[in-house]
Amino acid sequence: MSDMNTFQQFLYYFSENGTYVFQQFLAHFLISVYGVLLAAIVGIPLGILIAKYSKLAGFIITIANIIQTIPALALLAILMLSMGLGKQTVIVAVFLYSLLPIIKNTYTGIKNINKNLIDSGKGMGMTRTQVLYMIELPLSLSVITAGIRIALVVAIGVTAIGAFIGAGGLGDIIIRGTNATNGTAIILAGAIPTALMAVFTDVILGIIERRLDPVKRHKKITTPTIQSLKD
Amino acid sequence: MKKMKMLVIVLASLLLVLSACSWNSSDDEETVKIATMTTTESNIMGNMIKLMIEHYTDENVEMINNLGSSVVLHQAMVNGDANISAVRYTGTDLTGALKEKPLKDPEQAMALVQKLFQERFDQTFFDSYGFANTYAFMVTKETAKKYNLKKVSDLKNIAKNLQAGVDSSWVNRAGDGYKDFVKAYGFDFKDVYPMQIGLVYDALAANKMDIVLGYTTDGRIASYDLVVLEDDLHFFPPYDASPLAVNQLLEEKPQVKKAIEKLIGKISTEQMQKLNYEADNDLIEPAIVAKRFLEKNNYFEDQKEE
Repeated sequence: MSDMNTFQQFLYYFSENGTYVFQQFLAHFLISVYGVLLAAIVGIPLGILIAKYSKLAGFIITIANIIQTIPALALLAILMLSMGLGKQTVIVAVFLYSLLPIIKNTYTGIKNINKNLIDSGKGMGMTRTQVLYMIELPLSLSVITAGIRIALVVAIGVTAIGAFIGAGGLGDIIIRGTNATNGTAIILAGAIPTALMAVFTDVILGIIERRLDPVKRHKKITTPTIQSLKD
Repeated sequence: MKKMKMLVIVLASLLLVLSACSWNSSDDEETVKIATMTTTESNIMGNMIKLMIEHYTDENVEMINNLGSSVVLHQAMVNGDANISAVRYTGTDLTGALKEKPLKDPEQAMALVQKLFQERFDQTFFDSYGFANTYAFMVTKETAKKYNLKKVSDLKNIAKNLQAGVDSSWVNRAGDGYKDFVKAYGFDFKDVYPMQIGLVYDALAANKMDIVLGYTTDGRIASYDLVVLEDDLHFFPPYDASPLAVNQLLEEKPQVKKAIEKLIGKISTEQMQKLNYEADNDLIEPAIVAKRFLEKNNYFEDQKEE
């Protein structure tokens, strides 16, 4: 092996272990997605709630902020003491880290909606639920998606560290690389897919975010109508 | 509104798809969980047991990798985070988990460890896989030639000038740790650096260390052409390697026990060195090394069941 350079070793590694890397890639991604999805289920309603009852906002955002300041390795270690080793512990860690971006973005998204829109909704006789579903949520959806996007990218990084408590995923390959003789290629074989996963997740959710943005969506619809008027 | 509905539908279907993936089965009693350490050897054996169990039974096997030491492994077993340890060594567990005095005789050590694990932890310490992973001091070929080193006693006069890199879990070990080593051989090194075991071979090859304490089955001994010094005073106790499993699991699933037993006595120290070498030097993942080895041996199917 020593006659190959790192890049050749890297390619060789993939040709030998391709299926294994793919399995770990999938496991890694699923852990991240699970954690973020749970956080979305809890975080979005919580964000809506604190947007309505602003007295709670400071308290809840402070708690989420405090969680965010705990280093990932420390959080995993603390969780490990109570939850043991394995995937579920990492999922909980990802969940906790995802709370802040999701809650905060939901809160900001709803707070920043033009008050006039809500007033006109109420003026039309909408109930509070209708205002929420027909005005507030659609208008803040892109901001909420931005929160999920941040959460998922962070989650992919946290999951990589989760390999230390036996959760598997691409972090496993990186750790093995640090233990092996010709480690560089193996470390890269774990690190590059992790980075790519984060980048692609970011790009794809970025596209979704832009699609959901009411301002940009509006432009797309209006442009052809103006043209048709000219005709 | 349409977008909202779309999003809700997408989220809901995602949730369904994800929950269908059963890898995160929450049923603790049902899954076989194999714990392995960071070492390549532990990883290979863990995967081998996993493949054996999957080959002979329909069990769902989960791996818990990268645990720091056999003490962590032991804790994980006691806490119920895992129910099989891929590799445990008689010498390590005798002084580590069991807190007994080290025994120099391999057979006595094995018998005592097996008995005590049954009594104290309700766990079965199987017979050895067939290899022993003993600690040994090793130097580069150049150093060996320069000082004419063959056995550990040869170090006596030059040890004062040597920097030694050793396994961090060995330094403070009672009974066969560094303190006792100094007492037994009557010399100590200039500096002793506790390191992660995986790094000592590289440190030696890169001349960062003059001498290191490593494992005899490590594939890197061959790949770096290192010289293993003979333990002429028989200071290091035997470290025969065995799988360890929780009795409850073995009683509930006798098939699992049979699958593990098929590996007993099948892998020699040389064989293990070769497997480690494949993983460490040839960049093949332990999971794949294990698979190839088992496929080559036809999952030890020819062996008659007792």
